[in-house]
Amino acid sequence: MRDKVIYGLGALAILLLARDLYLIAGFPPERAQGMIFKIIFFHVPAAITAMIGSAVALVASVLFLITRKFKYDAVAVAVTEVGLAFLAANLITGSIWGRVIWGIWWTWDARLTSALVCWLLYAGYLMLRRAIEEPTQRATFAAVFSIFAFLDVPIVIFSIKWWRTQHPQPVFWGGGTFPHDWSVVMGWNLLALMLLGATMTMIRLRQEESQRELDSLRRMAHAL
Amino acid sequence: MNLLTQTLLIAQSAADIEFEMARLQRNFQFLCYGLIVAWLILVVYVLMMVGRERKLKREIAGLKAMLEDRQRG
Repeated sequence: MRDKVIYGLGALAILLLARDLYLIAGFPPERAQGMIFKIIFFHVPAAITAMIGSAVALVASVLFLITRKFKYDAVAVAVTEVGLAFLAANLITGSIWGRVIWGIWWTWDARLTSALVCWLLYAGYLMLRRAIEEPTQRATFAAVFSIFAFLDVPIVIFSIKWWRTQHPQPVFWGGGTFPHDWSVVMGWNLLALMLLGATMTMIRLRQEESQRELDSLRRMAHAL
Repeated sequence: MNLLTQTLLIAQSAADIEFEMARLQRNFQFLCYGLIVAWLILVVYVLMMVGRERKLKREIAGLKAMLEDRQRG
């Protein structure tokens, strides 16, 4: 049953993405930026998907610390890994956009730096998990680290409000203008990327369960 | 407007059109790079997950077979 849900969600995400790509390709170039503005249809949804992933990881980590149930630890690691992939896509698309519009690949402004720090923190979370063998200790340390890492997320989101940055000011919640039909496609693409992220998280979660089964089989093999 | 001015204007607008076309081409090229890289990251991650799943299944099957053998023996 769960496999059917995973494949169904994945297929729906791919169909939506194909449809969105077709619609985005049909949009005219933006007057000031030209074609490159279309990257925003992937850059922003990838960032939102990654930020939602880190919020889910925070909730799962807190729940693990309260209940000590390993299923929450599995959710936290699955969603963090998937979120990291989306955040990487966000950083790289942003950098390519910056090369065309600003003439530089990177600048150490508050938004870009905090997003990079966020990526490094969550990469550190995954590295920390690899470094600890004992499952309970690994899950506890990782949960605490995940809560700590989440502190950077509000800084990433609000940095463009709090400081004057080279990164553009918010379009959707800062008084910017975006044509209605573009906003609709942006919303659909966000949904598509979130569905894709959910599918990947469910697959990764299944792997965590397989890993736990493998660990218990190994313990049994040692005991025999 | 004399002929020289007209010629200069035409020459200028031709250069402008050429410049604008080059800008659009470069713009489109970078858009393609961006989309390719973004999708490549996600595809590579999915391929890594597929590889990991196969490895896990193989290891679980191997261990189960080994445990069954030991229990029989």
